[in-house]
Amino acid sequence: MELNLSAVLDSWRFLLSGLGVTLLLAAGVTVLSMVAGTLLALGRLYGPRWLSAIIIFYIDSMRAIPVLVVLVWVYFALPIATGLNLPPFWSALLSLSAHLAAYVAEVVRAGIQSVRPGQVRAGMALGMSRSQILRKIVMPQAVVRMLPAFGSLLSLAVKDTAIATVIAVPELMRRADAVAGQTYAPVEVFTTVMILYFLVIFPLTRGIDMIYRRISFLGRS
Amino acid sequence: MTFDWAIIWQSMGALWQGALVTIALTVLTMLLSVPLGIVVALLRESSLKPVSALATAYVELMRNVPIILVVYWAFYVLPILTGIGFSPFLTGVVALVLNNTAYNSETFRSGIRSIRKGQTEAGLALGMSEGQAFRKIVLPQAWRRVLPILATTWVTLFKDTSLVSVIAVGDLAHTALQIRSQSFRVIEMLTAMAAIYWLLGYPQAKIVDWIHRKYGVTE
Repeated sequence: MELNLSAVLDSWRFLLSGLGVTLLLAAGVTVLSMVAGTLLALGRLYGPRWLSAIIIFYIDSMRAIPVLVVLVWVYFALPIATGLNLPPFWSALLSLSAHLAAYVAEVVRAGIQSVRPGQVRAGMALGMSRSQILRKIVMPQAVVRMLPAFGSLLSLAVKDTAIATVIAVPELMRRADAVAGQTYAPVEVFTTVMILYFLVIFPLTRGIDMIYRRISFLGRS
Repeated sequence: MTFDWAIIWQSMGALWQGALVTIALTVLTMLLSVPLGIVVALLRESSLKPVSALATAYVELMRNVPIILVVYWAFYVLPILTGIGFSPFLTGVVALVLNNTAYNSETFRSGIRSIRKGQTEAGLALGMSEGQAFRKIVLPQAWRRVLPILATTWVTLFKDTSLVSVIAVGDLAHTALQIRSQSFRVIEMLTAMAAIYWLLGYPQAKIVDWIHRKYGVTE
């Protein structure tokens, strides 16, 4: 088998700007799903019963449906249903975040519930309000404990962006497909891109693991 | 806007076929990647440095790249590497097995490590061979700790099978997307697809929660 690396070398700019779109989308998905997921978890734990029932249904449904299905629904069906026409990038951002938020919500809930109830009672006994207890006692410990799980969700966010190729978001996967098709060198292109993804995601997860190891003592109680 | 839900009933047969392919992909991949995962986990614990390094490299690579890329990669690379033309279904299985084996090996490795070393040593002291001690002492206990994680992996795998639709495996996602582009009943078809995935996936997610409650080991 002869390798034709010129296919990759000739289009490195094109691929690299695709990586830029991938990272931008991943960053957007991370921020949006963190915010939405935290709100979902808080609504589930502290909201009225009807609200938490709706949230539980939402979370479990998102855990049951492939992200691809959510993506194509938002991109193809949502515009017809609502008249709201989102460009591919925004459709991907919305659907990937909606999906990942369910996982974030589960992680946040587990983190909050891992703090012993005695600590909450102690806070109440000291005359703190519910939100004070959450902000000053529960969250500082819970956030540290959530860190490893957030690490894997972060890598999931980057990996999920590749699925956006299906709706033609010009991210790395899409561009690799285009270059592979034009140069007839799919093996070289896809292998290179695989290494590129690895070089982005591996340090991310390892970095968070390292941070966690250094500050895990803050989460002990 | 008018809906024409009749398209769903007309394509019920095709969708059912697609759902069966999705289930077959999930079952076949899991059946292959559980034993392979155990093998890779053992290779990683091997005392031969090159063997464990290679196994580690494989696991880390697969855990840190998108599955959809592995699917494309397998689609183009497999025929060149082996000289055999794989069917899309088999290519999909290979890609999913490559990915899932890596995750399963991590699951088994942590399961095996959670059994104290003293137990294996006790087995050896009783005259068991390494293999016997592993099969009769470690595996039966590790299995129970591994089960909840395997269940979670199962549901993830079930959803990830939708990604092989990009290489035209006739799974549920591919079938539904095909019918959508032929009939132009976009909302109806995509909603039906989501509903079928939900009907199949929701009970699985609930069973996984139950397994976690029943078998989950809390420290």
